[in-house]
Amino acid sequence: MSSQKFSVYLTQLAEALREEKGPELAYLLKPTSDHGKALVKDFRGNITKHSLSYYEGSLESPWDEVAIQYVLVVNLCAKKRAADAFKEECTLVSLFLRFFAVNSGWTLPALFSILRDLRDLAFDVGPGTANMEEAARIISKAFSNCVTDRQSPIQESRKWGVYYVVGLILKCYFRVKRISLSKNILRAIEANPDIPPLSQYPRSHQVTYRYYIGMLSFLNEDFAKAEQELTLAFYNCYTGAHSNQERILTYLIPLRMFRGHLPSKELLQRFPVLEDLYTPFITAIRTGDIRSYDATLDRFERRLVDLNLWLTLDRARELCIRGLFRRVWIAAEKSTRVPVSMFHAALTISAEDMASEEAECLVANMIYKGFMRGYISHEKQMVVIAKTDAFPRLADRPTPFALLQ
Amino acid sequence: MSSSASTSQPIQSTSAAVEHTKDDDVPHLGVLEEDDEFEEFAVADWDDSQTDLAHLGGTAPGAAKSGGDKLWEDNWDDDDIEDDFSVQLRSELAKKKGNGGGPESMQH
Repeated sequence: MSSQKFSVYLTQLAEALREEKGPELAYLLKPTSDHGKALVKDFRGNITKHSLSYYEGSLESPWDEVAIQYVLVVNLCAKKRAADAFKEECTLVSLFLRFFAVNSGWTLPALFSILRDLRDLAFDVGPGTANMEEAARIISKAFSNCVTDRQSPIQESRKWGVYYVVGLILKCYFRVKRISLSKNILRAIEANPDIPPLSQYPRSHQVTYRYYIGMLSFLNEDFAKAEQELTLAFYNCYTGAHSNQERILTYLIPLRMFRGHLPSKELLQRFPVLEDLYTPFITAIRTGDIRSYDATLDRFERRLVDLNLWLTLDRARELCIRGLFRRVWIAAEKSTRVPVSMFHAALTISAEDMASEEAECLVANMIYKGFMRGYISHEKQMVVIAKTDAFPRLADRPTPFALLQ
Repeated sequence: MSSSASTSQPIQSTSAAVEHTKDDDVPHLGVLEEDDEFEEFAVADWDDSQTDLAHLGGTAPGAAKSGGDKLWEDNWDDDDIEDDFSVQLRSELAKKKGNGGGPESMQH
């Protein structure tokens, strides 16, 4: 058995390798491209590992086998046999890595492309985490091959693949909600001080990496770091990548709220979905309207839980209580002495019936957390409020995330 | 393999959306679904001018309006909100004053 088209394909591969054309190589290995489908057609259905073994030795190893794997993958993809296609792509990637590990960075475009295909195929297999974890395991090998480049001159180093590859690994773990597995790969980055600084990588690598680090920090409740990373991810993101910016802001906006930074109208108007979600919360915080804050929290509960945002917005209710207490103080003409009963009345009017002790406790808590300055005279049932800076601007609190428990 | 396998999730999103619309009250958050992933960028690199760094006027990301970034407001405490709630609060306050400080101070 032989195929005219496959012979041409082998020649094209050989040429891309000889001339070190990374993007061309990436194109030749893409399972969805038209030349692949044409190849499969040319074999007239006779495609098995065995039948293709005829071509072993037709290119320098491992490229003869890579070419054979490629035909197998395209064929299985065309037949929508995702699980088998994934398995064959695993073999293809492992073969490719043999070549990659002893060559310089010109191969990176092809590496990125086949690793992306590997992950996409694992995704197509569907439910269950095993395939995605297997993909992550193979991609981790590629990571090692990137990091261990000690021969190539720095501008042609495989090290320039590090952050893209890590981004893909994290994407795998997030997809199957196994984010605790990320630790190993992040430790490996820290353990390799000769990886160039992140800022020297292409922006697409930087932003993706920072997004995932920000999300990991967010989920681990390291909010200060999450806010930093997501801020950098947002500001370095390509503005044409609207849904990525939206994704970043979904988590960045509540984090910035704790810092007293409310998104401007201008920003929200660019993201109508976020405008719908966050405007009611923001309005409630500005006006101290606890009732409306709670109603919004209820209304969006399910979606917020799905997005892992419910707890954060539940905690941000404190910002709303601060707003309410500030209004009490303003109604009292910024007096330095406001009876506890006033705060109690305000809470009762705007939120729910509660005991006076509970109101007093809330005031004490707001003072403790630095939202207002003063003290409570318990026996006189009086809140004595500082003459200056009674309600510090939220933006001025030195450690806005410190007491988020 | 579908060409849109990883970057957009029309299949997943639709099924989730169908499920969600069952409860009438749950607002639709459009594309914002928990299954959405961070998408592959169409280009590898870009300039400052193609980012929101352009809003910063040279300052580092992380500031708000008072620090030169007009995308975030940090001075939004309002001393002049006039609504029913303000009226209610003031009348409560007047009641307290009318009571001559309330029962607690009478104990002293």
